[in-house]
Amino acid sequence: MSAATRSLARKRPSGRKALLATAMLLVAVASAFPLAWMMLSSLKTPAETMQVPPVWIPHTPTLEAYGKVAGVINLGRSMWNSLVIASVTTAGILVTSMMAGYAFAKYSFPGRSLLFSLLIATMFLPPIVTLIPLYRMVGSIGLNASLAGIIVPNLANAFGIFLMRQFIAGVPDELIDAARMDGASELLILYKIVAPSVAPAIAALALFAFVYHWNSYLWPLTVLQGNADAYPIVISLSRLLSYNRGAVNTSLVMAGATLAVLPPLVLFVFLQRFFVDSIVGSAIKG
Amino acid sequence: MAKAFRASAGIMLAPAVTLIGVFVLLPMLLTVWLSFQDWSTQTPFSEASFVGLGNFREIFGPTSVGRDFKTALLNTTIYTALSVALILPLSVVFGLLVHQREVAGGTALRTVLFSTYMVPMIAVALVWSKLYSPSEGPFNQLLGLVGIGPQPWLSSPRSALISIVLLNVWQQVGYFTVLAIAGLTQIPGSLYEAATLDGANGREQFRFITLPLLRRTLLFSAVIAIINAVQVFEPVALITQGGPVGSTNVLTYHIRRVGIERAQGGLRSAMAVMLMVSLIVCVSALFAFVNRKDSE
Repeated sequence: MSAATRSLARKRPSGRKALLATAMLLVAVASAFPLAWMMLSSLKTPAETMQVPPVWIPHTPTLEAYGKVAGVINLGRSMWNSLVIASVTTAGILVTSMMAGYAFAKYSFPGRSLLFSLLIATMFLPPIVTLIPLYRMVGSIGLNASLAGIIVPNLANAFGIFLMRQFIAGVPDELIDAARMDGASELLILYKIVAPSVAPAIAALALFAFVYHWNSYLWPLTVLQGNADAYPIVISLSRLLSYNRGAVNTSLVMAGATLAVLPPLVLFVFLQRFFVDSIVGSAIKG
Repeated sequence: MAKAFRASAGIMLAPAVTLIGVFVLLPMLLTVWLSFQDWSTQTPFSEASFVGLGNFREIFGPTSVGRDFKTALLNTTIYTALSVALILPLSVVFGLLVHQREVAGGTALRTVLFSTYMVPMIAVALVWSKLYSPSEGPFNQLLGLVGIGPQPWLSSPRSALISIVLLNVWQQVGYFTVLAIAGLTQIPGSLYEAATLDGANGREQFRFITLPLLRRTLLFSAVIAIINAVQVFEPVALITQGGPVGSTNVLTYHIRRVGIERAQGGLRSAMAVMLMVSLIVCVSALFAFVNRKDSE
């Protein structure tokens, strides 16, 4: 092999590496750009948001818009409502999913696979299909226009049961049998033996549920019927747009959006390992 | 012992089965029942009166009800098809970029891609409506730099729906990339080593090893992407209100409007039933297609 071809052979992989690195960088920039634009715009002065061509980096970054958000919507109340909706719903989903997941994974009873299939099928049902009858039902039990009306119908879901069954099935039967020999009740076994063994899956489900219900819009919008006291942040955010429509409000809207995005995003950054593991787990095992 | 377990199974299942039965299955059955009734959503269920297939005839009929529904069905079909057609290939390409071990930074890329999936759709819609802004938005400015004229984006019936597809793809593709990575890690490395020894180049390896072994993953991704796509609501409700000239009037938005603003409970139920039936047909067809490929 001549020196020239040898250097070519070395060069080709490094050219390939440069190409790969460029592609990765481009994808990352494209992916991060909208949120970066959102945060930058929230720091602009009203005049800067109207400028043509658009200003990318604010010349005199100001937090003024964040102060104004709290004046237009009830920011503290909305954030609190979102927190209550997301955490209570998540707690309920964890309990119901673990119990049902345990039953499907570790008991045999007549009709087990039929019942499981029926529950799993609801995972594929678009929420719009049940929206109006559900709204009427929730109204008939007096929960309309309240946080309880948002929360109660969502306390159990098929995805949680599916995920928990997948992971609990991997808990060794001997562990459970040994506890039964010691006279532990089934609920105690679930709490003391099974739950710690599937802790990462529980963490993943908790995060999924929290983010999903923090972000959820269609059902709260329908059930609240304009009761602004119970608005979660995403609905208050949509109200920001109609405030001063057409006038200078871009930095205001972007500041509101940044505030709404931060809680799920921060959770994700710290706990993404669980998200990823559970998606991988549910896809492979499913 | 077995009897005792049966009782425990009952206790363990009761909360989830009751909640899902009451709050998912019951309203679904009510929707099916209401699709054969004439019913105003402002009256009790007991006011409903049986009309047979009347609602279905009307939503497929020549009146404005039928025209609007068929447009919404078509819009959702186009929206779903475009979303899946963009998300699946991109998820595989991005998955390969994250999965490869030649250049560092794969995990960081995965984090950036996946983070968009955490963003509330309302915020996505708000931010993208500004990015798309014809004069003050950065997209047209960037296009200008490479010599492409300004696009109307959300304000033209020709481009509004695809503009919403694009923001949906941006938000969701990270999730599907993680699914693709899960599929890629399942492919044994020995297959690629053997193929390299046999002289197969990168493109041949992708075509004859990677793609066929990703088929199950891609089927799973396609089903999830379809289910997600038919639920598109926020950008339409917030930004376009179904316009311009009905071009973004998608099913979830249209069905809600018919049910709530026009209070036409029977018609909206018939539309919802058609959405369910279309989904079942579509997903079954996908499974049949992949299974036939498998048996080839």
